[in-house]
Amino acid sequence: MGRIVLENVVKRFDETEVIPPLDLTIEEGEFAVFVGPSGCGKSTLLRLIAGLEDATAGRVLIDGEDVTEVSPSKRGLAMVFQSYALYPHMTVRKNIAFPMRMAGMSEAEQNERITAAAKSLNLTDYLDRKPGQLSGGQRQRVAIGRAIVREPEAFLFDEPLSNLDAALRVGMRLEISEMHKRLQTTMIYVTHDQVEAMTMADKIVVLQAGVIEQVGSPLELYKTPRNVFVAGFIGSPKMNLLSGVEAAEYDADTIGIRPEHIDISMKSKKGSWEGTVGVAEHLGSDTFIHIHGIPGCDPMTVRAGGDIEVKHGDKIYLSPQAEHIHKFSEDGLRIP
Amino acid sequence: MSSRTLPRLLQTPAVIMLLIWMLIPLGMTLYFSFIRYVLNSLRRPEWTTPSFTNWRGFGNYEFVMNSKDFLFAIQNSLFIVGSILFLTVILGVLIAVLINKAFPGQGLVRVMLISPFFIMPAVNAVLWINMILDPVLGLNGLAVEGINNIIASMHDAPLVGWFFSLWPKIDPISFRATQTSAYAVIIMVTWQWTPFAVLIFMTSLQSEDEQQKEAAILDGAGKWSQFRFLTLPHLGRPIAIVVMIQAIFHLSLYAEIEIVSRGNGNKNLPYLIGEFANNNIGAASATGIFAVILANIIAIFLLRMVGKTLME
Repeated sequence: MGRIVLENVVKRFDETEVIPPLDLTIEEGEFAVFVGPSGCGKSTLLRLIAGLEDATAGRVLIDGEDVTEVSPSKRGLAMVFQSYALYPHMTVRKNIAFPMRMAGMSEAEQNERITAAAKSLNLTDYLDRKPGQLSGGQRQRVAIGRAIVREPEAFLFDEPLSNLDAALRVGMRLEISEMHKRLQTTMIYVTHDQVEAMTMADKIVVLQAGVIEQVGSPLELYKTPRNVFVAGFIGSPKMNLLSGVEAAEYDADTIGIRPEHIDISMKSKKGSWEGTVGVAEHLGSDTFIHIHGIPGCDPMTVRAGGDIEVKHGDKIYLSPQAEHIHKFSEDGLRIP
Repeated sequence: MSSRTLPRLLQTPAVIMLLIWMLIPLGMTLYFSFIRYVLNSLRRPEWTTPSFTNWRGFGNYEFVMNSKDFLFAIQNSLFIVGSILFLTVILGVLIAVLINKAFPGQGLVRVMLISPFFIMPAVNAVLWINMILDPVLGLNGLAVEGINNIIASMHDAPLVGWFFSLWPKIDPISFRATQTSAYAVIIMVTWQWTPFAVLIFMTSLQSEDEQQKEAAILDGAGKWSQFRFLTLPHLGRPIAIVVMIQAIFHLSLYAEIEIVSRGNGNKNLPYLIGEFANNNIGAASATGIFAVILANIIAIFLLRMVGKTLME
């Protein structure tokens, strides 16, 4: 259960249109990620689905049922917030029990579900503590626990990992992915971090200014970005985008080439670009080289092997792998 | 000179000032409470000057404890303070929650709500007892008269006239009477101090986490559950602070009691001190010491309570 459909959904705050008419389908059991720069309307979209915001026009359907006018608690969705939104004066146990208590569930059933959730989230030892006594990661797990015990149709995550430090973020990312594999419930996840989107999603929805730029699996977006925005947004480090003379050679307005699709050499070759090394970031496994002096793209980023020896000011020659060049027309759309 | 000596040295004048400020009045009160000291006595003129030769030991304390109003004054102090606290906290929470929602004219309403707090206690008491609570000239009298007139005019109505003629003529309550003067004080002080509670609760409500509320909405909590499980616990700390500050303040009520009934049927410890101080400074001082003890007992209870909520 948990197929979510948005039909012609519009959201306006007074005069500003945050979300122009938008259609989207999230299939049952799918892990969908809304990704985009801040202010692109991805959180608003999630809140529309949750019912925390009213749609100005259009319909929201869950399992074929129109829930546009249904109150948030009746939609059968559970949400995990960026600030965790735990109830500060309640113990972890009471926090997790709260939705069940509101639903009037029996004490025995409540305890059973709490025990199961606490076990799967490693919270058993913390059930009698208050949220203030927990670390960020533990608080996030309590928030997830509170969502799980409701056995919702779908989970909604609103940038749940943004307040955690980098190491914890990677761990929690895995935990959430594993939880999805185990529960097989629909999940919608909002983030501005394209790495989270790429690693977790079955389906990525790239948004900009309330408009869906592209919907697809992570690899689809990586291999065939529909337009310049998606091309620049998905992938780390970013795709190099060149315009002008270099692009004209390929009969395009803009061409894009990912850092990992550029061969480097210290000697000039046919069709290669010449530049000087600015900064080389040695990560051990890879080296990211930022190269200056290439017309239409400054600096250009290139991924090279971990043991390459380059330093600031070195002359360097770059040849893009022809089969990996993305071409875009004047209006930013991909030329196949 | 160690690094802490200079700061200590610089603090010293302020600390000494504060000690003098506190210790001299307290010391003098203690001293007067153990001697015979009256302002005017024709039979024993030597008692009119304070001196150790007039030593009375615990005599003043005994005299105060045996005076007929002492226990009543303590009881009445607690009754007045407790009632005011109860009413201001409940009204304060309700009004604060009510005006926390955005509505047109919100700014004006807030300013007007706070205004009673800027009125002097004596003026407040005069206005209430003469203009509102007075059984003849006040709103109280006018309203009761109006109701009586309406009922009287209904006596001649067809069909239902007999029903209204069974109703008694109601009398306005006199709030200066022995039985009611304490209520008059409670009403006027509640009116004056509710804004204080509203102000504190309102600022606290504005710091309430919106995401918590949204989480609660999704968890299926209705308006009442949100208030009961989120807002009230959130207000725990400000409620404790309002209770503590008001308890200390209202233990020393005086102007209202004096103006409403000159202590008729309604005395508290400060008022008792004032009555003794007309002549018997020794007894007044002893009552003062009792008041200090009472205030300290209450303060210890309250500090524990506040401390507990602050620790959480």
